[in-house]
Parts: sequence; structure tokens; C-alpha cells
Amino acid sequence: MMEMVLNILSDGLFAAVAAIGFGAISDPPMRAFPRIALLAAAGHALRYTLMTYFGVDIATGSLCASLTIGFGSMMLGRRIHCPTTVMSIPALLPMIPGMFAYKSMFSIIMFFQKIDDTAAAATYLDSALRNGMITVFVILMLAAGATLPILMFPSKAYTMTRRKEYPERPNDN
Amino acid sequence: MELFWNTIAEYNRNTWIAQCAIALAGLILVVLLFHRPTERVKRAMKYYIVLLNAWITVVYHLWFCHERPYNYATTLIWAIITAIWVYDVATGYTTFERNRKHGKLATLFMLLPLAFPAISAARGMQFPMMTSPVMPSSVALFTIGFMLAFSQRVNLFIVLFICHWALVGASKIYVYDIPEDALLACAIVPAIYIFLREYVTANVSAHSKPDPRTANILLITLSSGIGLIFAALMLHPLLQ
Amino acid sequence: MQTPNNAHNELAATVGFIARYASYLMGSGVHTSRVVRNSRRIGDALDVEVNLAVFPKSIIVSGTDTAGETFSRVVTIPACPIDFERNADLSALSWEAHDCKLTLAEIEKRYDQLCSKPRLDPMLVMILAGLANASFCRLFGGDFTAMGVVFTATLFGFFVKQKLAQRGMNHYLVFIVSAFAASLLSSMSLMLNTTSDVALATSVLYLIPGVPLINGFIDIIEGHILTGISRLTAAIMLIACIAIGLSATLMMVKSELL
Repeated sequence: MMEMVLNILSDGLFAAVAAIGFGAISDPPMRAFPRIALLAAAGHALRYTLMTYFGVDIATGSLCASLTIGFGSMMLGRRIHCPTTVMSIPALLPMIPGMFAYKSMFSIIMFFQKIDDTAAAATYLDSALRNGMITVFVILMLAAGATLPILMFPSKAYTMTRRKEYPERPNDN
Repeated sequence: MELFWNTIAEYNRNTWIAQCAIALAGLILVVLLFHRPTERVKRAMKYYIVLLNAWITVVYHLWFCHERPYNYATTLIWAIITAIWVYDVATGYTTFERNRKHGKLATLFMLLPLAFPAISAARGMQFPMMTSPVMPSSVALFTIGFMLAFSQRVNLFIVLFICHWALVGASKIYVYDIPEDALLACAIVPAIYIFLREYVTANVSAHSKPDPRTANILLITLSSGIGLIFAALMLHPLLQ
Repeated sequence: MQTPNNAHNELAATVGFIARYASYLMGSGVHTSRVVRNSRRIGDALDVEVNLAVFPKSIIVSGTDTAGETFSRVVTIPACPIDFERNADLSALSWEAHDCKLTLAEIEKRYDQLCSKPRLDPMLVMILAGLANASFCRLFGGDFTAMGVVFTATLFGFFVKQKLAQRGMNHYLVFIVSAFAASLLSSMSLMLNTTSDVALATSVLYLIPGVPLINGFIDIIEGHILTGISRLTAAIMLIACIAIGLSATLMMVKSELL
């Protein structure tokens, strides 16, 4: 039990670091970083728990995680006036199935290396298809989960960056 | 492990005269650069660095270590570093302007390669089968010292590469029983701190993201983090 | 030609600004529906009805003013780096324009201010990317040593990427070269007693274009299928480049793939 909690926590921690780092490449506002880390940790740890301890498959797990992130970014984004995607996309980055994506590309390259060897070629074709399918559907689930809150509460989601009141601007122009 | 030390022994047995000559030439050039940094000396130093890296690539990795597994990767990596130095020389990126702030540390780092055989001897190793001043780790150490002493702006490719090499070195201390590599690991941490601090002072102003205060906090956290990583890498097999 | 000339000029200026605004947002990786929404909101604030047709490389902006005159422009989408801060700021600007009824001159002034904000320091980005990739290595089951190797290999690879991109090299080539550089350095882990397969495979993952991948699917879900597919295709091409760079390393160090 203790070990399970530790595993989940460490998974969340590393996911948070990964989200901050990969998010930083796309230059989010400084004020969004803590929230990105929190969302990423929650989402990834949830997916890890579902997949490891409840035997959920990767696509469903990703959907649950991305829904958490999507709703979370809606709740957290309001105070700092950030659009939901500014927080949800960096938080989703650690869950991008990059490994599967390039494995499928890789198998395609290998397929052409082994094109004369029917058995090997079939293995690589199988691996390309399988990894490609996982990639496509996991990313689809991630995007769907992040978009669903926006589709459900459009009026709320579209006014995230709207301020209640604006500072008096000097009337010099 | 046996193969590792055998290749080193073979290398030392066959090239010790050349190694002595290289170390001596390095010593003379450094002394000259410290005392009489003329244009000719600077140019000679650049060629020396290129030659040193080329020597490690061709003689050490390609020729004497060809029995080691994966030696093509190491050869290629050192070849790339040599190429970066050649490029550096051609474009004159690294100016050999003395940076007096870190003189003592730099001198220490540049002299440390000479300590490699001394440590090996102290561990009770016999002549051919011991570390020498002209081996990848010692050359990397020399380069660090030399960059600290002479360059106002450093070539980050080289620094990052040496950082990588130091990290690999720190993790192979136990795999190949070569504690001498710990020297490089210990040297890289303060060096990285200094290089980063120079970068922060040069590039971070009020109009930058992050602001100077955050940048300094990050700098200190990062340096201590890297220090911890190296310490953990070197110590964790002991704890297990 | 009944319309007075300066009304026409005003419309032209408004549409010109919105074209600039929309193309900049599109270029910096904002999903299409938000670009359309923001642009219309600014148009609203200036009493111009704005319609956008968004294509992968260009946008057609058309604005109709209260007098019924229409003016349209085609702009090319610039290739900017992805930038969430601009995304947040410029979206907020559209609300500010809408709520405070800013004039075009004021909006343009604010726009230029926001666009000249500094980007995150490249050195910091490099270090954070290194840390991120190291933790990724951990998530895929790499051990402590592998994490260290991946960290420094990523630093080097990312620096190569930044420098080559600065020199204006074609970005497919940039991806191949930096994937090769990072994986070559992390192939050093083969010499060590560690999970070198994980280290090799994760060392290139910092290059995976995650933001376009998610944006592409968001676009498709929201009905902007054309731009969505073009974003996904661009991302897939980059992933292919990563695979090429990595397979070059694998061919060399293992003389076989996988």
C-alpha cells in the first residue's frame, strides 16, 4: 500500500517536471507554471493509477486523465486570465505517446530494410500499425478530453481571459 | 573491465613518449599564455587544442580502443568535438582573452591532468596499466580549466559535451574501477556554476523572462541540483 | 463611389490589423477556433463584421463595416515559434478591446507592446527540457544513471537544435541532426551498466512536436478539419525526421536497428 502511494506520487512528480520542461519550449506565461505542474501531476498520476492498478487500457486512461486536466484548467485558469489551452496543452505533453509515435515510424523504416524477408517484414508492418494506432487514438483522446469542457461550457471557457475591471488607462492619446 | 584496462595499458606502452611530449608542449603553451600572450602563442594554443582532440579521437579511440565495444560511437563523438574546435579556430569564436576572475581555479584544473597518473600510482597500479595525462577525461579536464582561464565567452557546445562526458565518467567509476574520473566530475560542477553565472550576468536584465531574481534562484538551485546528481552518481553504488 | 474616402481607409486599416493579428496567432500555435473568435471580437469592438477563411499557409480576412462596404485581404501565416504567452495576452487584448471599446490606434499600440515582451530565456528552456526528458526517461522505467545520461544528452541536442534553427537551417534537417546528436551522446550509456535501451529511446523525445499534435486534433474536433490535418501532417513529418536521426545512431552503435 505504502509502495503504491509512493509510486503514484513519484509518477506525478516526474510528470510535473516533464510538463514544465516540455511546456517551457512553447513559452507559457510565468504565472501558469505552478498550475501546469499541478495539472500534469494529477493527470499523469491518475492515468498511471488506472493503468497499473485497475487494468484500464491506455486510451481510456488517457481520456480520464485529459478530462481531469481539461476541467482543472478551466477552474484554475480563471484567476490568472489564461485560456484553458495555455494550461491544458503543456499539462498534456507528458502523456503524448512520443515513444509509440517514433516506434511506428521506426518500424516503417525497418519494413523497407527487410522488405525481402516476408516474416520480418510482416512483424514490422504489424508493429508499425499497432504503435501508430495507439499514437493516433491516445492523442485523439487527449485532445478530446481537453476540448470537452470547452464544448460543454462555452460561455465560461470563452471568457477566461476577460477581466472584471480594467485598470484606468492614462488618457494621453 | 579487463579489456578496458588492457587497451589503456596498450595505449600507454606504445605512446608514452608522444604523451610526454604532448603534456610538455601543453605545459609550455599554458605558461607562455599566462605570461606572454602574444598573437602567435594564442594561435599555437588553438592548434594545440585541435591536435589534442584529434589525437584522442584517432590514436586513443580509433586505434588503441578498437577492441572495446561501441568504440565507433565514442570515436565519432570525439571527432565531432574536434570538428567543433576546428570550426571554432576557423571562425575565431573563442577569443583567448584572459578572464582573471577564476585564475586559481583554472590553474588547478589545468594542472590536475598531471595528477591522474599520481592517483593511479597511489592506488598501486603499475606503469603501463594506469591513467595518463593524455586520456579523454584528463583532456576534458584540461579543456575546462583552459576555458575558465581564457575565455570571456565560452563555446557552449564544448561545455555541454564535457558535462556529458563527466557524467558518463562518474557513472563508470565502479563499472570500470576508475576513480580518477571523479576528478573531472568534481571539476565540472563549479565550472558549470561559473559559466552559468557569467551567462546570467551577461544576458538577464529587467526586461527578460524570467526576471533577475528568479534567474538567480534558478541558477543556485540548478547548480546544487547538478552537484547532487553527480554526488549521487558517484556514491549510490557504495550505498547499495 | 458614394463612400467617403476616409471611411474606406479606416476599414482597410482595421482589416489590415486583424489580418496581422490573426496570422500571428495562427503562426504561434493557437488553435483555429480561438483565432477566429478573437479576431471577430476585435472586429466587433471596431464595428466591423469580420469573417475568416483559414488555410494551412494563409488566411483570407474579410471585413464589412456598418455602411455595408467590404474589404478583404489574404495574408501568409508566418512561421513563428509556438508561444503560449502571446496566446494568453493577445486573447486578453481582444476582450480588452471589446470591453473598453478601444480605438484601432490603441489596440495596435497594445499589440506591439505585447508582441515585444521577452520570450523565456533560451538557456533556461534548454535546461528545463533536459530535466523534462530525464524525468520522461524515469517514467519509461529508466534508472538513475540513464536519467543522468539522458539529461546531458538532451542539453547537447537541444543546444544543437537552437543554434541550427538560429542559422535558419531547414527545420526538417534541424530535427534529423539534433535527434542524431542527442541519441549519439546517449548511446554512451551502452558502455555503462544501466537501462541503455530506455536511455537511447527517450533521448530524442524532447523533439516530439506535442503541441501541434494536440492542436491538430483540437482543430479537427472543432470542425477546422483542413488546418487540423495540415498541423498533424507537419507533426508527422517531424516525427519521421526524429526516427531517421535516431536510426542513424542505432545503425552505427548496434549495427542493427531495434
